[in-house]
Order: sequence, then C-alpha cells, then structure tokens
Amino acid sequence: MKKGLRWKIILTLAVLAGCIVISYPIQKKIKLGLDLKGGIHLRMQVITADAANIETDQEILRLQELFKKNNISYTSMTKESPSKFTIQGTNPDQEGKLKDQLDQYLRDWDYSLIGTSISVSLKPLALQALKDQSVEQSVETIRNRIDQFGVAEPIIQRQGREWIIVELPGVDNPEHVQDLIKTVAILEWKLVKAGPAQDEATLLKDFGGKVPDDMEVVKGDPKRRAEGYYLVNKVAAVTGKDLRMVRRSVDEWNNPAVAFQLKPDGARRFEQVTGENIGKPLAIILDKKVQSAPNINARISDSGIIQGNFTIEAADDLVIILKAGSLPASIKTLENRTIGPSLGADSIRAGLLAGLIAILSVMTFMIVYYKMSGVNAIVALILNIILLFGALSYFRATLTLPGIAGIILGIGMAVDANVLIFERIREERALNKSILNSISLGFSRAFSAIFDSNLTTVISAVFLFQFGTGPIKGYAITLIISLAANLFTAVFVSHWIFDATHTKSTQKLSI
Amino acid sequence: MKYRYYALGFTFLLVLAGFINIFFGKGLKLGVDFGGGTLIRVMFKNPVAVSAVRQELSAVGLGNSVIQETGKAGHEFQIRTMQVIKSLDAQQELEAHQKLGDRVIEALKGDDGKTELAQGFKDLNNIDLSNLTALLEKGFSQEAGKIAHEIIAARINIGIFTNYEELRQAGIKPDVISNLKEKTFLGKLTVISRETVGPQAGADLRKKATLAVIWSLVGMLGYIAFRFKLAYGVSAIFTLTQDVLITLSIYSFTNREINLPIIAAFLTIVGFSINDTIVIFDRVRENQKIMRKESLENIMNSSLNMCLGRTIITTGTVFLTVLALFLFGGDVINDFAFCMLIGSIEGVYSTVYLSCPVVLFWQKIFPKTKGFRK
Repeated sequence: MKKGLRWKIILTLAVLAGCIVISYPIQKKIKLGLDLKGGIHLRMQVITADAANIETDQEILRLQELFKKNNISYTSMTKESPSKFTIQGTNPDQEGKLKDQLDQYLRDWDYSLIGTSISVSLKPLALQALKDQSVEQSVETIRNRIDQFGVAEPIIQRQGREWIIVELPGVDNPEHVQDLIKTVAILEWKLVKAGPAQDEATLLKDFGGKVPDDMEVVKGDPKRRAEGYYLVNKVAAVTGKDLRMVRRSVDEWNNPAVAFQLKPDGARRFEQVTGENIGKPLAIILDKKVQSAPNINARISDSGIIQGNFTIEAADDLVIILKAGSLPASIKTLENRTIGPSLGADSIRAGLLAGLIAILSVMTFMIVYYKMSGVNAIVALILNIILLFGALSYFRATLTLPGIAGIILGIGMAVDANVLIFERIREERALNKSILNSISLGFSRAFSAIFDSNLTTVISAVFLFQFGTGPIKGYAITLIISLAANLFTAVFVSHWIFDATHTKSTQKLSI
Repeated sequence: MKYRYYALGFTFLLVLAGFINIFFGKGLKLGVDFGGGTLIRVMFKNPVAVSAVRQELSAVGLGNSVIQETGKAGHEFQIRTMQVIKSLDAQQELEAHQKLGDRVIEALKGDDGKTELAQGFKDLNNIDLSNLTALLEKGFSQEAGKIAHEIIAARINIGIFTNYEELRQAGIKPDVISNLKEKTFLGKLTVISRETVGPQAGADLRKKATLAVIWSLVGMLGYIAFRFKLAYGVSAIFTLTQDVLITLSIYSFTNREINLPIIAAFLTIVGFSINDTIVIFDRVRENQKIMRKESLENIMNSSLNMCLGRTIITTGTVFLTVLALFLFGGDVINDFAFCMLIGSIEGVYSTVYLSCPVVLFWQKIFPKTKGFRK
C-alpha cells in the first residue's frame, strides 16, 4: 500500500466513525425546528412607554410629598407624556428654594422654568436605561412563567431594542400559552364604594353621575362571573408586590381557588383595611378586571384566597403568573405562528421521500454516465451525508424544512464537484496521458474551480444565515455544512479511493 | 457566442414582460411573511369541495380569500385572507388579522359540535394532551397519560380522525375507545397551522430579505473581482441581476406567493449560477495562457464549448434533485422547489449566453490590458 494512503484511509474511517457515533440514535440527536416539530413562534413588542408612564407617575407623587414637606406651593402637577410632566402655579418668591430642592432631588430628570410653570422631563439616557430595563425584566418574567409552565427547550430572546422572540416547541395549546405570556398581572385589592351595577350611569347614581377624584370605575371579569361595573378606590390597599406566597387551593365549596400570604408590611396594611371596613366589599382586581369582590367578614392579617369560577387550569395559571411577578410593561404581538405537529410530521415524511428519490436518481445517473468511477462518486456521496448528520448533531444545529431542502440541494451540488473532476480526467485521457497522470491532473486542475464555486454559494448562505429567521437559518446552516463536507469527500476521499484502486499497472480507467 | 445579440434581446424582452406584469398586471404576490396577514391550514374530516369552502367564507364576507387545496385531496386547504386592513395602529392591524383568522375558522366550523359541546362532550380532534389525560384519568388512572400520548400520536399521523375505527387500527384498546365514545365527538375540522404576521414584523422581514440579497451580491462581486479582473466581476453582477430578474418575472406569472424561503431560493440560484460562471471564467483564464494568439472572443467561444458538457451535467444533477423535491417534497416547500427549478435552468442560460458577451462589451467600452489579476 502506498505510504501516504494509509493515513488517509485511517483519517477517513475515523471521521466516519465519529460521525456515526455522534448521531446515534438519530431521533434524539437531531434537533428539530419549529416547522418540523410543531409549536408556537411569537414575536412581541414591549410597550416601553408603559414603564416610562409608571416612572413618571411615581416621580410626580414623590415630588408632591417633597413639596409638601418643604412648604413649596404649586397649583397642580400634570403629566404631559410618558416621560414629561409640568408643575403649574409656582410662587415666584420661592424660586430660589424651589430650584435648590429640584437640583438636589431630580437626579434623572431635567427641568426648565417658564414663568410660574416648570417643565420636567426624563433625561434621554435615563429614559433609555429605563426602557432597556423594562425589556430585560419582561424577558426574565416571561422566562420565569414558561419555566413554571414546563416547556422543553424554549427560546426566549430579546431581539433588537424592544422586541422579544418566544419559541415554544411541542406546545399543543397555543392560546393558553399566549395568555400566560401576555397577562401583565397587576394584582390589586381595592375597597368597593359602589357596585356591581349594570352600567356606569346606575353605578354613579349616588355620586352625581361623576367619578370622584380618588376613585375609578373597573369592570368585572366575565370569566370569573364577576359581571358589571364597580366603583373602587384609586389607591390599592394591597398589591401583587406584597405577596409572599401563592398556591392553588380550594374555597369553601371545594372549588379551585388561589391561596395567598402577604409579606409583613402588606399584612399590616391588609389588617388595617379589613379591620376598618368590616361588612364592606373588597375587590380583587387583576389587570383592571375585577375577579371577585367578597365582603370583609373579619379583620384579616396576612392570608386569604382569591376565588370565583376557577378551573384547576385557570388557578394554576394564576399561580404561575403571580409567582413570576407582573410584567413591567404591556406586551403586544407582532407575529404569531402556530404549527401543528401533524404538519411537521407530514413535512418530515415528504422531505425524507424527496431526499431518497434525489439520492437514488443521482446515483443512477453517476453509474450510467461514469461507470465504475461513478461508484467512487456514490461512496463519496454517502460519506457526505453521514458527515452532514454528524455535524448537525455535534453542533446541535436545528433541522428545519428548508434545511431538508438544503440537504437535498447539497446532494446535487456534491455530485457537481465529482463531475468537474471526472470531466477533467476524461479530457486528460483524451490527450492520451497515462491513467495515473490523468487522475492526478484531473483533481488538481479542477480544484480551484470547485473551491471557488463552493465558496460563492457559501457566501450567499452566510448572508442568509445573518438576515434570515429560524427556518431560513436552518437552510443556510445545512447548505454550508453540506458544502464543507463536500469539499472533504469529493476532493480528499475520492482522490484516495482512486489512488487505492488504480496503480501503475492498471490498464483501464472506467470513467 | 454568435447568438449573443439574440440572447440579450430575448432576456430583455423577458424581463420587460415580467416588469409589466408586476407593475400593471397581476403583480408580485407577497406572502404572509412580507405582506402581513393570516395564513391558515385546515384539515377536514370529510372531503369538501373548494367551492363549498369559498361559499362558507363568502357568507361572512371573506369570499375573496385565496383558497388552495393542499395535501390530502379534498381534505386539506390553505386559506389566505386578502382583507386589506389599513389602520394607524400596528397592533390593531395584527389583532384585526387575528380576528379574521378566527372568523375563518368559525365560519368553516359552522354549527359543528355545538350541541355536543353544550352537553359536555369534548372534541377529540382538537383536544390537547393534558385535557385528554384528565379525561381518561377517571377510567384508566395510571395509564391515562400513556394512552393519551398514543392517541395524540395517532392523530398526528393520520391528521384528523374520521371515525373511531381509526383508533382501533392505531392499536388503542376497545375499552378505551368505548370510554371515549361516551365523552367525545369527532370535530369537523382541525387547524393544522396558523400564521399571522403584523405589519411591523412584515416590514422587518422585508428589510432583512433585501439586505440579505444586496450583501450577497456585493459579496459575490467582491470575490469575483478579486479572483478575476474587474470586467468579469461586473459581468458576474450583471448576470446575477439578470438571474434574479428573470426568475422573478417568470415566477410572477404563476399564482405563487413570495415568502422568505423564496428569497432563500433566489440567493441559492445566484450562488449556483455563479458556480457555472466561475468555471467558465476559470477556463477562459487558463486558455488565455495557452491560446495567446487568439482573440478574446474566440478564446471565450472555445472555453464555453469545452465547458458546455460539464455545465449541462452539473445543472442536470441539481435539476434532478430539485425535481425530486418539487414532486415529492410536500406542499410547504413546493413554492421553493418551483423557484429553484426555474432558477437552475435559467442559471445555465445566463451563464452560457450572457456572462461572456457582457465581458466583451465591457472590454469594448473600457479597453484595458489583457492580463489577469491572480
């Protein structure tokens, strides 16, 4: 055996063995994309203005307290935009004192004095930081909820400035999951001043038809059978932030409910409110919808239940949401793709069939046209495919339907390289060069063309990977791996197979 | 090479026809990925005619939706709502599309199952794993999970249950089946997939697709200019642009939509076409050294002829594989396969008839020294 040949054979066999070991068993080792496995893909936008709104509201409250403490007079503070508010009616005499206070306390805010009004706006950097933080926090909260819900291999990623991509493979109840993700989950306990009523007019009967400044109107949640309009205090006695623990439980009729326990600070407030309002209803409000409004029977300090037409599933959902915490901002859907598993199964079947036929037709052609050398090409092709699956398993690359198409295309292109070499060998033979010489020349002359052509397809595949979405990324990857494997098999392996099967004394070159 | 004027003329006509079609005729149909909207695939338990489907949709004002039969004949349909919803708020637009999707599904379901649902029966064709397990728990406690799994797997395999017999054929035990018959019914249809893309997401995907195409072309130009002379790089770009335009034109005459995979197909075609072109340029470069005395035109002619065999064969093998994909690869990938089919033929055409002539023209306009950059 020629000297160089041995290590070439060993190397090839080693690579082959490696790939087979890595990709066995194949069902478990190959990661299937969403379009083959079924599942849901969501692209969502975090409405960062919400976070800014909350921050501005809180700043207004803080400033109001500050002014009260320091006896600084003003007529009103009004919010102009999510990140800007105006203080009206200040006293010109207090200007110096006012400026001192503002300079001291407004770290993240810029202000400007115009007559007796002060315009206060959030510094651009601070606003950006706030927005970024709300997106990050949203990602975390969603991840938390999905973890609790239990999805295998979920993908939750921030994309760009304000977008979040969520991919959940194998989920077969998409509406349910979407609700779980999008619920902002602001839980509030507020005293009920009037209601439930059929409509707002009836509700505000005793208040002269107008909503008092320190109250607001909320609707009941039809899912919880708490229909109607309620008039409640604006300020919540206790909120979701005060929760120490939640779990699924039962109410007095053994229906599913959610039991909760409050942290000490919240418990204190709860005790105060319940103690002072025995006999009156206390509304439990989730995302501005009243879940239930039971009467306060006794002073309660730190625990209670939320009840009201819950199914076990709904109760579990609420527990998940409350445990993960509320979202800092609301979420809107930009893109929603749900693929059922049967479509994926169909696609896999079709892909395998097409692939098989592609391989068989190419093999047939190669043998018919290039005779024994065609067998060489076929061996390289098979090796190519094994390498491909090995690489896919090793890199944990995701196989998608376009990816399968990419593999099939790769088969067509793999043969391309062989054809280039064989045609070249034929040409050299036509010039009456020796068999060994023809083979050698065929490979070396064709190499630059093979390299260049594979490279250009790789270039376009790279950009597809860069700019493409999931399935397209899968396509790009399989194409690139195909081409790389191809370079190895067509140039290296085919060459030594030729060398091994043809020696100086070989009379005929079957090509 | 003799035919180069004919070739260029023919190309020009084709592209022009395509443009006219795009701008004044049917236009390029943008798929859900780029145009926004909803695409729903449903499978019916019993065969339904396309006209019947359209009738149901017309009844709720969605008669202009694009309805295509896919997969299992008479059972599977693909519906694309064509409602143009112009609204200032992107979120509202998406929600409107989602509601359209809901309306489609409700319209198709009609009254199916309403009585059964009212009586507390569950739809076996649409139930999810956890609910099915809960349903079976009463009768089969421990095994409920495993059995539910088997049933769902069978449903995935078949697509939709037409009758309870199919369950028995799938190996589900008779006592399970009789238990199910008391608690479930077989819904008329099941939603196989549902995709809604809002305007913002659509715009983003359009942008990404355009960037991918532009950068790829730039990459190719750079690489070829680097390996060969500038003239060849320009020719390559010209050829590639022609590739895209011609394929796009032909594609626009069909009823197919343009989605992300189609863009991937275009880029792949571009990559392939460049392969062939490079092989020829490579041969021209080689021959220029050997046939020093000949004119460039003759060298190119000979190179082309030498490479013709090889070009046709390699295109042929790719064509074979793409044909297999087109005929057997299923509906989802079919548009992609079709595009590749056109593209591979077109790629050969452009390589053989366009790439060299363009170089010659360029050299006539900008005469330069003959050498090659290595």
